[in-house]
Amino acid sequence: MALAKLREMLDKKEISAVELTQQYLDNIEKRDKDINSYITVCAESAIEDAKKAQNTIDSGNATAFTGLPISVKDNICTLGVKTTCASKMLEDFIPPYDATVMEKLKASDIVMLGKTNMDEFAMGGSSQTSYFGGVKNPYDTSRVTGGSSGGAAASVAADLCAAALGSDTGGSVRQPASFCGVTGLKPTYGAVSRWGLIAFASSLDQIGVIAKSAEDTGYLLNGIYGYDANDATSSKKSEGNYTSLVGSDVSRLKIGVPKEFFGDGLNDEIKTAVLNAVEYYKKLGCEIVDVSLPSLEYAVSAYYLISSAEAASNLSRFDGIKYGLRSGLGEDFNDLIKNSRREGFGNEVKRRIMLGNYALCSGYYDAYYKNATRIRTQLKEEYASIFEKCDVMLTPTAPTTAYKIGEQENDPVKMYLADIYTVTVNIAGLPAISTTCGYDSKGLPIGMSLIGRAFDEKTIIAVCDRFEKDFDRKEAVL
Amino acid sequence: MRYQPVMGLEIHAELLTDSKVFCTCQNEFGGSENTRVCPRCSGLPGTLPLLNHDAVRLAAKAGFATDCTVNNYSAFDRKNYFYPDLPKAYQITQFEHPICTDGHITVVGGKDIRINRIHIEEDAGKLVHDDYEGISMADYNRCGVPLIEIVTEPDFRSIEEVQDFVEQIALRLKYAGVCDARMEQGSMRVDVNISIMPVGSTEFGTRAELKNLNSLKAIGRAIEYEINRQSEILDNGGTVVQETRRYNDNHGDTKALRSKEEAHDYRYFPEPDIPPVLISDEDIQSIKDSMPEMPQERFARYTKEYGLPADDANLIISSKEFSDFYDEAVAINPDYKQISNLMLVEVNRQLNDSQLTISDVKYSPADLAELVKMSSDGVVSKNAAKDILKIMFDKGGKPQDIAKENGFIMDNDASGLEDIVNQVIAENADSVESFKSGNQKVFGFLMGQVIRLAGKGANPKMAKDLLTEKLK
Amino acid sequence: MFNSDLTKHLAELSKISFTDDELEQMTSDMTNIIAIMDKVCDFDTSKKAYALDAVDYNDLRADEHKDSYPTEKIVANAKNVKNNSFVVPKVV
Repeated sequence: MALAKLREMLDKKEISAVELTQQYLDNIEKRDKDINSYITVCAESAIEDAKKAQNTIDSGNATAFTGLPISVKDNICTLGVKTTCASKMLEDFIPPYDATVMEKLKASDIVMLGKTNMDEFAMGGSSQTSYFGGVKNPYDTSRVTGGSSGGAAASVAADLCAAALGSDTGGSVRQPASFCGVTGLKPTYGAVSRWGLIAFASSLDQIGVIAKSAEDTGYLLNGIYGYDANDATSSKKSEGNYTSLVGSDVSRLKIGVPKEFFGDGLNDEIKTAVLNAVEYYKKLGCEIVDVSLPSLEYAVSAYYLISSAEAASNLSRFDGIKYGLRSGLGEDFNDLIKNSRREGFGNEVKRRIMLGNYALCSGYYDAYYKNATRIRTQLKEEYASIFEKCDVMLTPTAPTTAYKIGEQENDPVKMYLADIYTVTVNIAGLPAISTTCGYDSKGLPIGMSLIGRAFDEKTIIAVCDRFEKDFDRKEAVL
Repeated sequence: MRYQPVMGLEIHAELLTDSKVFCTCQNEFGGSENTRVCPRCSGLPGTLPLLNHDAVRLAAKAGFATDCTVNNYSAFDRKNYFYPDLPKAYQITQFEHPICTDGHITVVGGKDIRINRIHIEEDAGKLVHDDYEGISMADYNRCGVPLIEIVTEPDFRSIEEVQDFVEQIALRLKYAGVCDARMEQGSMRVDVNISIMPVGSTEFGTRAELKNLNSLKAIGRAIEYEINRQSEILDNGGTVVQETRRYNDNHGDTKALRSKEEAHDYRYFPEPDIPPVLISDEDIQSIKDSMPEMPQERFARYTKEYGLPADDANLIISSKEFSDFYDEAVAINPDYKQISNLMLVEVNRQLNDSQLTISDVKYSPADLAELVKMSSDGVVSKNAAKDILKIMFDKGGKPQDIAKENGFIMDNDASGLEDIVNQVIAENADSVESFKSGNQKVFGFLMGQVIRLAGKGANPKMAKDLLTEKLK
Repeated sequence: MFNSDLTKHLAELSKISFTDDELEQMTSDMTNIIAIMDKVCDFDTSKKAYALDAVDYNDLRADEHKDSYPTEKIVANAKNVKNNSFVVPKVV
């Protein structure tokens, strides 16, 4: 049900905040053992949150989020609630502070149902690298959810929350949204504060939203966006009112279709579905423009070098001393760290740290890290010229639909290459939204992405909403 | 063989800010373990650094104090290494784009020492070691204290040059209000990179980095030890190893800490959490305009405009507070020489005897200026002036009031004095006789009698003249 | 070319211990990964490296201290604490 509709029902007392919360908790109880979308379910505190919210509603002081039950990805710090990043390393880490997004939402008496499962430290596209077990796709529990915000996407798809907070470093909101048949919004870099988001790759990370519709993603983004004095990379440029263009006429917009995104690696069924969406907009009256991102071929490598370099540094603080797993082994300081990190981190995290140090270490820095940042400049420039020709760019979200668990997530190279359609958005710091534009022959959701100009989330939300209103979305059947 | 030492310095100075460089914890020395720590400076996951405006401002001032160029664009980088006093396992510093570059300071012998750069970085925490339990305990109070690092070119060739440079830097940073430069407390820390080469050679040898030098004396002794150690190695056909060595003040020697080759690859890269800083020409100019007069400028003023001897000028500028006091006093009474003399001799003696500094005195520069004026105008005698100063020092008070209350005002009434002289001569006939028969020493006794009767306000010159006259 | 010595060097920089078998697997994984990363090596080096947009000096955080965190919260997640300090095996 749409967030705005839930708001109305709560305000009209058609349902109480506690009843609504209890419904979701019941759903979690029933379904999540098959899906594993939550690492921590906050049943008790959620009910407490709901009671408090109901008081606010009863006193007539309800605001947009009062009493709405959401899930929060487990790399977003929550005061007093375990925040694990799905890692053994942080299995029992309890943050002494709230992320800015949580502070904002709590101020509006939102209800937090729990913390969602993910790829360890958000490194992955399958949500199978979690120390707490992989997440299963509500459309077919033998398949992956995508990732890294797989728990968030599945929790929305399976009605285990009204909406979800995720994070997106290279596609981690959009790709699982696509695999799980829901809508995922990755805001412009700097639109949402990163304070309290446990860093994977600082220059690419952005907290995003997963919900049942584009309008809902905008609704929730209204509650979390904005400049934050705690995050020097957050921006004052955001204007909010993210759903203000929903329902407006989008037919005069120009939609760019980049040829590089429809090449060999793309599954035919996906290509057809996405091109059908292009056709939809054309029929609506939008001008379809051929655009080009010539440096796309460099994007995956540049993305992995930059993100891994930053990750290697960001994850160095996990040494067993101040928080997190501390190995019982280790005669000296060096051994203590090495063993703590050996025991605390999973294989993919170790690979990323190794790759990051490769990119940064003496003798390799110029050829790898430095060149990757040059490619970043190039891609930004190419996007700038694309947005001279069009208002929104339309691409597939992922080259495949959800694959079978165990099929490819153990092959890092295959996994990395599958990020091709999402990483350039993070590299260029742009906003993008993924929604379902079709179903493949197995009934699995196919995602398309709409990419917008920096800080112009409004437009992509409106364009996406237009499509969704005419699209026959199929719920997952559990 | 005779060797020539070649040295360069890396000087870390703690900035006098109110808060730490990347968080709002208080920047203060000492304190109980982990009491000035927050999620940011203890490196908690999810936290982000927030650059302190004044850290940038003070670093720029350090640049102006050392004739550097202050750059419009500066940026931060991460220096990655693991150590228990570094909670994030990287230090935020400026590597590629430091805030200041290309400075210099002239040292003894008129030689220019080039400053390569000054950059901003964060300090690490402190470790306390427990030998009995075999543990080290990390306290993060000092984590995130703002530092600048001043890096020189390897331009030093003697201990004197190094010591002079360090002294000048300390003084300039104090004058600029950048750092209190207390080497013994660690608020300014000097590392010396030192190599030796045969005299006449131009090719530098392998260098060692000397750490833990917490006084000028320690710097001198450590360098001396190191020159001897490296010379011995080369004389015996060995090679010097590039390494960090820790100076031990008790033994006067240096010991290797760790070899630099040992996996020390800091993997610097641009800090993604801190946007680069842009300082406009206007802001740079206004920081420059806010610079107080530097010690070397004061020295020039004292010697050239005020005509003070170089040694006196150096003594005055060696403490900013002392020099400020002097400046305020001469602004009221431009008797440069007399005020300088009084401060360097009497005032300094009182301060030394009581182990106080000029900031502790109970009188103002205006009072001191007034006292000197009273003395030079003949309102009080020179000796009386010293007595008045003593009272000002002990109890405070205005020199005029003290002089009046204690009868120090010089009495210039010749007739009254003449009566006293006559009385003394009449009462000391034996002494007068003795003087007249050639015993000059008795004059002092007779003068003493005159002053005793006349009181502290007596004009000593007048008394002397009268007595001489009467004894003829 | 990627080899086991490089893996060991990176493991040292990364401060992660590996068994011999794990090192071998890591070397194999890294070889494959680096092969796709090599794509960036021939990129136009005249291009400017990316940097965040600069902020104006006047917009930096004002220098005012605030209360620190309670010490017990700072050390709450540590496994080994003594004298309100984080304990490690003795260094130096």
